[in-house]
Amino acid sequence: MLEVIDLAKRYGPVVALDGATFSARPGRIVGFLGPNGAGKTTTMRCIFGLARPDRGEVHWQGQPVDRAARLRFGYMPEQRGLYPRMRVGEQLSYFAQQHGLRRRDADAAAARWLERMGLGNRSKSKLEELSHGNQQRVQLAVALAHDPELLVLDEPFSGLDPIGIATMTDVVRERAKAGVGVVFSSHQLDLVEDVCEDVVIISRGRIVAAGAIDELKARSGRRHLEIEVVGSDGTWLDGHGELTVIQRSGDRVKLLVRDDVDLDPLLARARAAGEVRTFAYQPPKLSELFMEAVTPAADPAKAPVAEVIP
Amino acid sequence: MSRWRSIWLVARREILERGRSRGFILSIGFTTLLVVGSFVLPAVLFGDKQATKIGVIQPEPPGLTATISTMSAQLDRKVEVVPFADEAAADAGLTDESVAAVAEVPADLSGPGSIRFAKESDQVITQLVTASVVALRTQAVLTEAGVSPAELQAAQHPPTVDALDPQTDADESRFLFANIAAVLILVGIFSFGYTVLTGVVEEKQSRVVEVVLSTVRPRDLLMGKVLGIGILGLVQLGVFVAAALGTAVVTDRFTLPATTPAAIPLLALWFILGYALYSTALGFLGALASRMEEASNASTPVTMIAMASYFVAVIGVINDPSGPVAQVATYLPPSAPFVVPMRAAFDAIGPVEILISIAVTVVGIWVLFSVGARVYAGAVLQTAGRMKVRDAWRSAGE
Repeated sequence: MLEVIDLAKRYGPVVALDGATFSARPGRIVGFLGPNGAGKTTTMRCIFGLARPDRGEVHWQGQPVDRAARLRFGYMPEQRGLYPRMRVGEQLSYFAQQHGLRRRDADAAAARWLERMGLGNRSKSKLEELSHGNQQRVQLAVALAHDPELLVLDEPFSGLDPIGIATMTDVVRERAKAGVGVVFSSHQLDLVEDVCEDVVIISRGRIVAAGAIDELKARSGRRHLEIEVVGSDGTWLDGHGELTVIQRSGDRVKLLVRDDVDLDPLLARARAAGEVRTFAYQPPKLSELFMEAVTPAADPAKAPVAEVIP
Repeated sequence: MSRWRSIWLVARREILERGRSRGFILSIGFTTLLVVGSFVLPAVLFGDKQATKIGVIQPEPPGLTATISTMSAQLDRKVEVVPFADEAAADAGLTDESVAAVAEVPADLSGPGSIRFAKESDQVITQLVTASVVALRTQAVLTEAGVSPAELQAAQHPPTVDALDPQTDADESRFLFANIAAVLILVGIFSFGYTVLTGVVEEKQSRVVEVVLSTVRPRDLLMGKVLGIGILGLVQLGVFVAAALGTAVVTDRFTLPATTPAAIPLLALWFILGYALYSTALGFLGALASRMEEASNASTPVTMIAMASYFVAVIGVINDPSGPVAQVATYLPPSAPFVVPMRAAFDAIGPVEILISIAVTVVGIWVLFSVGARVYAGAVLQTAGRMKVRDAWRSAGE
């Protein structure tokens, strides 16, 4: 298990991390979310010893992370970087060897991962001869080729087409199934909702929400309600104080309600007004949880939701 | 995994990637060509080893051929006499350039005869043949007048030639060797030290350094890079020296000093020390830059020091290989790699001095590497513009 404990880091006057604490368990995929500049990349750099925290520690299996532990990690940094003129196969093998694999094993792993990424015939190509998306696949393969126990991926999906994203998510899911802990950051929240079981949300250097997505949703004070009433004039809702109307189109209305609102009276009203075809009560989307977590608002139900709900 | 394996992996990557590059192979080929060419070309162009052929129409006066040979030895010119049956055959020889000149002297020495060239006359050949004919005719007159051959020979004995401080072949080749050593070390430092510099900047620019440093310690990366590129430098030096020695032996152009077998390992050692010192400096200064243009600015002080050291060696040591300038420069790490091999080539430095100088330089490299590795670690991950040494030092501080 990876534990990030109370990390703090300043760059001059800028506070990058301000006591960030979270953990990532084996076999679980953690979405590491936060607005730009919240401290995601700095946290990842601290995990790999690329930035030295002013305070706090990173532990792996209960011990402070050292170089030997990092050899068991795989890293895909936000600023992608490989040797442009080095051949792809040799490059993969080189990084695998730097992680402790013997040359023969590293060569075999390189070939296997290139095949897996659909680049089996590009082993002898120089990296710079590959398209952007294929370079990104190689970058992921570099993080994976030494069969790490922990994967830390900074924005692994940015700039990829849907096919690329599908390949990448397949691989990440498969590694997690094999017991690898995965931490990845992304701004594509729908994707995170699909791929991750857990999320950690960081804002201004602090962790503002963490846990299983389902639990966070259940704990959230807001619910979505979608009601379709045929044959009403639409005025049946007027005067009901505990609702926020998000969208109205024809007979359909989308509402935001607090989780303690009693739905029976509302359903009764709707029935009285016409024929109820839809009455759907749903937890919030991850994107709403995210906005809720990173926006300092007193009442969750009054948080600015219109911006994030299409 | 051990640190040494990690360092070796970095070095091996540099050797494979750069050693296979077209640039490196071309530069080795070019160097070899240059060395071989500089020995072979003069021989081909000036042909000073080839004998000039002089035709002599038969019958010739007795002793003419022998006299021409003796005279030519004194003039340091190789000459071969070719006999021709008659004038027509000799003219044909001139026309087809098989001989440079044709001499026709009456066999009884009754007249001075003639010398004929194809087009332009050659002063040396003219004098050579003239002197030979005049000597033979004078001898004939004097012998007839009753002068004894012994007296004649004594009278014709040339004056002895001597020099106060004779320049020997060995001196000449020492001077040459000293200069070649200094130039080789300078070229090695510049070409391979700058390869380290550009390598560091490229890694930083392509951001691959972040991936590498997630497993490799910054100082190990710098050390591996310096090591790998240094091995390539040594290979090139080896090719250069082998080509030079091989061509020198084959063409027999100049006498190698007796100290050559000892001088080559010494040259290699100082090449390594000089390269290690300067490439470390260039490597960590390169890490301060985020673009190539900034890197060449950052490296200016190192370039200046290298050039200054080279000139101190070339001017100071050649002037007086044991003088105070040479002595002081022997114990300064930046200048020692140039000065010590030069002084050794002049045989003006003892083994103790060399050992102390090596020790001082090794300590210098170690100090520079310790400081440099920390600056490198602090700077190589910062991509925002050019960094100051002090900020990099602090940001890597524990």
